[in-house]
Amino acid sequence: MTERAWGWVAHLREGGTTRWRDWTGSGPATGPVLPGAQQLELLRRANLVGRPSAVLAGRILAVDPPRRARPGLPLVDGPPVPDHGPRPVDPTTVPDTELTRLAAVLLAEEVAGHTPSPPRRGRLRPWRVRYHLLGDPEHVEPWRRHLIARGRPPGGYGGRVVVVGTDTGRMLVDLWSAHCFRHGAVPWPQWLARRVSRGDLPGPLDLDALARREQDRPEPNRVHVVTDPALVGRLVGVRRGPGLPQPMAASAVDLGRRVCAVLRPLAAPEDRARLITDVLRPVLADAPGLPLAVPSAHRAWVRSEAERLHRQLGRGRYPVHGDAGLVLPVDRAGVENPDVAETLALALRLLLSAALTPTPEEGS
Amino acid sequence: MSRRVLLHVGTPKTGTSHFQDVLFRNRGRLREQGVLYAAERFDAHFLAALDLMQLPWGGLENEAVGRWDALAGQVRDFLGQPGDRAAIISHEILATASRAQVGRALASVGHPDTEVHVVLSVRDLVRQIPAEWQENVKHRRELPYGRFLDQVRDPQRDSAIGAWFWGVQEIPDILDRWAADLPPERVHLVTVPRPGGPRDLLWQRFSTTFGLDDLDLDVEPERVNPSLGVPETTAVRRINIKANKLVPPAAYRPLVRELIAHQTLSRRTDSPRLTLPPEDHGWVAELQQRWSAVIRERGYDVVGDLDDLVGDPPPATYADPDRADEAQVADAALDAVTALLVENARLVRTERDLRAELDETRRELERAFLRPTYRWREKTVRRLQGSRAGRSALRVYRAARSRSSRSA
Repeated sequence: MTERAWGWVAHLREGGTTRWRDWTGSGPATGPVLPGAQQLELLRRANLVGRPSAVLAGRILAVDPPRRARPGLPLVDGPPVPDHGPRPVDPTTVPDTELTRLAAVLLAEEVAGHTPSPPRRGRLRPWRVRYHLLGDPEHVEPWRRHLIARGRPPGGYGGRVVVVGTDTGRMLVDLWSAHCFRHGAVPWPQWLARRVSRGDLPGPLDLDALARREQDRPEPNRVHVVTDPALVGRLVGVRRGPGLPQPMAASAVDLGRRVCAVLRPLAAPEDRARLITDVLRPVLADAPGLPLAVPSAHRAWVRSEAERLHRQLGRGRYPVHGDAGLVLPVDRAGVENPDVAETLALALRLLLSAALTPTPEEGS
Repeated sequence: MSRRVLLHVGTPKTGTSHFQDVLFRNRGRLREQGVLYAAERFDAHFLAALDLMQLPWGGLENEAVGRWDALAGQVRDFLGQPGDRAAIISHEILATASRAQVGRALASVGHPDTEVHVVLSVRDLVRQIPAEWQENVKHRRELPYGRFLDQVRDPQRDSAIGAWFWGVQEIPDILDRWAADLPPERVHLVTVPRPGGPRDLLWQRFSTTFGLDDLDLDVEPERVNPSLGVPETTAVRRINIKANKLVPPAAYRPLVRELIAHQTLSRRTDSPRLTLPPEDHGWVAELQQRWSAVIRERGYDVVGDLDDLVGDPPPATYADPDRADEAQVADAALDAVTALLVENARLVRTERDLRAELDETRRELERAFLRPTYRWREKTVRRLQGSRAGRSALRVYRAARSRSSRSA
């Protein structure tokens, strides 16, 4: 049985796709310890999609599962196992969730292997408009980076406060996505359910509360609320902006969530943020698929919160740029919960394409 | 000349907090006596373990990046100095390290050229299983004891609970990973005495194993991880169910885990204790016997007695935390509410004092602003801010003033 198992390892290393239960060959041991069933099954799945390099195959077979996941599992009908330790399994029965976690560890290692580029800061423009940006983080952050790169950092005496929002459903998806790409987050349905149970819109999305808070400061800044993100540019004194961010595919955000959770102990916080923005996000942004949508169970709550926000924006003592009705929910195609099979497929495609693999110069 | 590294790799709930506290408080004295416990903060080795195993841990991992290599570097530097020397690394979550991580850890402290010892402190599962559930409850978990036990019993271990529990508690498997490359005489098992044993017996066993017997140390316990009774644990679990969605993790730790659980409910010692259900004693006893046989067969150094791993028989009356006495739970909850009120009263006092300080500061600031020229300047600035030309003039003025300030 030991020879059969090592033969299967060699078969998978060579790009084989035979399932363990159908495997009849044999081979010599090529290491001190047989890889776990999860690692072997992940390599087989990768072989079904493409042809991993020898290096990638070796990394897959050696990867450690993340926290609170099962350690490498022995093969059922494989080499003898002691009475203790995890019980043997048929690799094809390992759930996709477990394989996706392993793939996320591999991708996080690739991201961490990059050398983070220093943040782009343009030469300071003395005549720039002073501003502070608040609101939907998926709209605000690209603007902030864009302006900093052009010598227009936020802050400054007497600046105007620009509170950016869009339709409430999209803003909730954006806030969850921002959490995912900052430090990982609980899955979308649980996250939204928690928010609903707390009653109000999350602080960064309550455009009216943000605007009123800024107005109540001892030295009030001039506050502008923007419900159409295309109008941000003229408020911050530029003609061209970073372009309106398109929502990512649900599977891309879900994979980002898993990769960023694993990345936390691999890179210091200041490096991690730049690695995620410059390396991970651009690759995931191109992934095809439908974006997330608000689950039907919570649509009524989102609508009532959006209507409340709409009324408050109408009564606010601050200019609103764009139609205040743009905060009301919009019916658009989307998925209520990411499908882990799609997330795994995306992870395997990224591993095989080496889209995140650092170049030798970066890795050195 | 002796050079040794002692790696204490688990298991949780075996007096590790007390042991690490003694090492930390005495690290200066230990160093003078040739023993290194390299830690600039109490949780330094925890951070190093997180780094070694690349574990995210509620944000603490942000402080952990690079810690293991730094710790291992300190160990190598210390052992490189002349004279008899020993270095101790201790944290219980190291028990979950994979073979690859163990290989990296051993190599980083000098294995095989350096004499490395692995120490595992162990306690019977009859106490470990309920203790682990209680620890889960004190870390915001909401699951009832019965469901926890189901996940621990599940041979597939495909839940987070099962994977973690056996990862840190299955003694032969931990030793398969940590001791595979070491001779058995360098692998030490310290058994936790059975309930009712002498109070300092566990410390004596630690002390002997780590070669601390002849050293001058302050071993008075300051940091312990106190346990809760059945109604108290149930009360905390119900608080978790109600409050988890409302209380952020940063507030949970000081208010629920520290104030309610550790400082308040752990003092209620006359309530029924948390135990293993009677029906689980059979399989647990059988498992412990198999583990003891493996340990004997491998010839590890046992400090204490393997019979300590045989748990006490079930109590005459089993108190099930999933069907706890409601009057006792209510009483525990009242104690928790009282503790929160006392703490809230303290915070109200603090807030009042701070508000008074702030008001006084504001008054002083206003007095400074009431100089005759200030009002005139303020009025001028407001008027200038009202027009584009005025704002431009202000900008020019401020730019000129800051340039003149820099040159001054």
